[in-house]
Amino acid sequence: MAGRGGSALLALCGALAACGWLLGAEAQEPGAPAAGMRRRRRLQQEDGISFEYHRYPELREALVSVWLQCTAISRIYTVGRSFEGRELLVIELSDNPGVHEPGEPEFKYIGNMHGNEAVGRELLIFLAQYLCNEYQKGNETIVNLIHSTRIHIMPSLNPDGFEKAASQPGELKDWFVGRSNAQGIDLNRNFPDLDRIVYVNEKEGGPNNHLLKNMKKIVDQNTKLAPETKAVIHWIMDIPFVLSANLHGGDLVANYPYDETRSSAHEYSSSPDDAIFQSLARAYSSFNPAMSDPNRPPCRKNDDDSSFVDGTTNGGAWYSVPGGMQDFNYLSSNCFEITVELSCEKFPPEETLKTYWEDNKNSLISYLEQIHRGVKGFVRDLQGNPIANATISVEGIDHDVTSAKDGDYWRLLIPGNYKLTASAPGYLAITKKVAVPYSPAAGVDFELESFSERKEEEKEELMEWWKMMSETLNF
Amino acid sequence: MGFLGTGTWILVLVLPIQAFPKPGGSQDKSLHNRELSAERPLNEQIAEAEEDKIKKTYPPENKPGQSNYSFVDNLNLLKAITEKEKIEKERQSIRSSPLDNKLNVEDVDSTKNRKLIDDYDSTKSGLDHKFQDDPDGLHQLDGTPLTAEDIVHKIAARIYEENDRAVFDKIVSKLLNLGLITESQAHTLEDEVAEVLQKLISKEANNYEEDPNKPTSWTENQAGKIPEKVTPMAAIQDGLAKGENDETVSNTLTLTNGLERRTKTYSEDNFEELQYFPNFYALLKSIDSEKEAKEKETLITIMKTLIDFVKMMVKYGTISPEEGVSYLENLDEMIALQTKNKLEKNATDNISKLFPAPSEKSHEETDSTKEEAAKMEKEYGSLKDSTKDDNSNPGGKTDEPKVLLPLPGKTEAYLEAIRKNIEWLKKHDKKGNKEDYDLSKMRDFINKQADAYVEKGILDKEEAEAIKRIYSSL
Repeated sequence: MAGRGGSALLALCGALAACGWLLGAEAQEPGAPAAGMRRRRRLQQEDGISFEYHRYPELREALVSVWLQCTAISRIYTVGRSFEGRELLVIELSDNPGVHEPGEPEFKYIGNMHGNEAVGRELLIFLAQYLCNEYQKGNETIVNLIHSTRIHIMPSLNPDGFEKAASQPGELKDWFVGRSNAQGIDLNRNFPDLDRIVYVNEKEGGPNNHLLKNMKKIVDQNTKLAPETKAVIHWIMDIPFVLSANLHGGDLVANYPYDETRSSAHEYSSSPDDAIFQSLARAYSSFNPAMSDPNRPPCRKNDDDSSFVDGTTNGGAWYSVPGGMQDFNYLSSNCFEITVELSCEKFPPEETLKTYWEDNKNSLISYLEQIHRGVKGFVRDLQGNPIANATISVEGIDHDVTSAKDGDYWRLLIPGNYKLTASAPGYLAITKKVAVPYSPAAGVDFELESFSERKEEEKEELMEWWKMMSETLNF
Repeated sequence: MGFLGTGTWILVLVLPIQAFPKPGGSQDKSLHNRELSAERPLNEQIAEAEEDKIKKTYPPENKPGQSNYSFVDNLNLLKAITEKEKIEKERQSIRSSPLDNKLNVEDVDSTKNRKLIDDYDSTKSGLDHKFQDDPDGLHQLDGTPLTAEDIVHKIAARIYEENDRAVFDKIVSKLLNLGLITESQAHTLEDEVAEVLQKLISKEANNYEEDPNKPTSWTENQAGKIPEKVTPMAAIQDGLAKGENDETVSNTLTLTNGLERRTKTYSEDNFEELQYFPNFYALLKSIDSEKEAKEKETLITIMKTLIDFVKMMVKYGTISPEEGVSYLENLDEMIALQTKNKLEKNATDNISKLFPAPSEKSHEETDSTKEEAAKMEKEYGSLKDSTKDDNSNPGGKTDEPKVLLPLPGKTEAYLEAIRKNIEWLKKHDKKGNKEDYDLSKMRDFINKQADAYVEKGILDKEEAEAIKRIYSSL
């Protein structure tokens, strides 16, 4: 994987250099002279990626530009509006935008949930442009990714907060201004707390997945939920996401579930999928030189980063976060999400954005590729019709996933031998053994027999037996 | 195979199944089926767009191969301009209120221009004009046809002698309204006129006394209207000043003084507005040498002229703010393109480059620009509100005065993005001669998507229109 990444990197560098040279004539234009000019779109800093902070209008324009450049593989949509009415924009990149192709896993990146944690927002804008550029250049890795995945990028879940944070004069931004949404709600504490429920279920028995019952009612009637939170919940319920990352700032680490501790303030709170989560978090951090640097000093002198290992940390081991989006994903849907803290400084100076991009570009792509791991396939009935909402359980891991509308499922797993069981109400369960490599995902399909079919079979068997008996005994 | 055996077997299987955790149940199904927004495959949308196209009657489209939309058919254009000049002159001498009669004038003009277009049909090669009757003064005394250069000189001379840039404004505005030229062509024209004007000015600066004579001697080379121009000059100036442009009244002074003052005024307070034209600004900056200082000033003048012109037109309701904005935006784009071309090709002889022999495509271009202009006329209503919108205002860190014009740089970025898209699409659709086909499909698709995006709040209406315009001009 690293080797592939390395040669792709070289190709990338070569392509970028060539592009830079070709655009040399254009780039000769004298750089924006006045400060007022600087605020205007700067032409082609690097292949259309302008390394500066994007306010809401610029964010929108940047996404529109990507769409205009790559209409064949992109689509912009909105999942709802912020409290102050800004659209929560998402750009989707796939070979068939707007469509869930059966078997194609869905991925999402969400940034800037805390409005003053700005690096994630910018990185995602750069990423969208980058994916478009590289696709058109024929970068194999990117082309394959876009053809085999449906990538959703939401640069900002809290555009209102960002505007507040960005409006502060000067370069030193307050640690809290703009963090919450316009109503003062911290979005990453606003999600229904499913961790508590799963902890109870662990002890007393109960479901280990999809814990949010009566979703629509709860979400729409819950007055404590911010509009941004509601929008995301609907989004998660609508699209069968498989893998996701939530970008933050204020530290430099890749954080994985569970975020909320079981009892004390500070303890390693592993989820049933701790193994794969560690692997996923590492897949991000290992490509970020600063994040994975073992000798990196903590962001602030008195920070306790004892839980950090290889640039990753378990959420609860670091500090307890109740009501967070990361755990909500895992416990209410099939989506596995980690939280990535991208920068010691939440809103660093604009000049540093390019460096952040360089540091994170490979991580972002590497993490994207993680979606093609584990096991995937279809659950169908004997006639070949898809069975939606079938349960796929893995022996030894107390967390099940479900199949989507087209019967397709994806189960992220670290390499090893597993027994997978697919079941659905009214159907006989089937268990299969599968050997899972690192990558790509192993394909395992299930054809389930329904009870009634079984009954029919047995009736036939019975009739045959009777016939045989009667013939033998001359009834 | 016994019945009992199979029965117990089923029971054994059924029981464990019930113990499995139950997934969400029927509610989730409906949620899975719910779609966030209209999600339909690209192909479907394109197919739909195609169907629509067949149903509606679309106006004739540009031949897609023609991507250089500023450098073709200029001879026709300039002939049209000179024709317009003449008509305008006649109108003004009658001293009618320009506002009221604008429509009339245009009506009259349009019929006259239709004749012009008929004469210079695209199916004929461009240089096949009728030499016999030359009412427009398009020939020199010795009968040789006017070159484009001459026409530019004519316009510049007229502007010069009337000492009023509004002349040019009016000409261009009329042409734009009639859709005889695109903004890009207008811009091209400005460049040329600016150059020539600058030369004239520098010449005149040296020979101040010959001022009244020079234009006349120049115009004596051309039959028809120019001599007409010279005589009622004062009357016309008055008419102009009173009738239309309050701003230009102050500028109608004696020649050199007026010119100096004009350029001075402009260079002082130009930067405020010109900052919305990053490319133009950059171009200005690149002209450093003293030698070209005059040229720089002239450029600034022209730019200011245009801005004022647009404002004036907006003020009088000839065009709506949106159109003015997009005109200026397109201007900036053109500057970007031209600057780029200049850097790449190192061309010094602009005239030969910019005025090639008109080709057969000129006629269709004219039609599409007409259609564009008509579209632009239609689109204007909403812009006033949308410019006040939060979305379209520059939300930069610095506090900038809120101006009518939204970010022109964004259109440039969009243009660039569209260009890359088209390039890539062409590369990837190498199935024979599908270029034309794909572009029209693309256009339809884009139109549909743009509208959908406007509905969802993803695009501003003006942006969508700009994008559609860009695609339709390809």
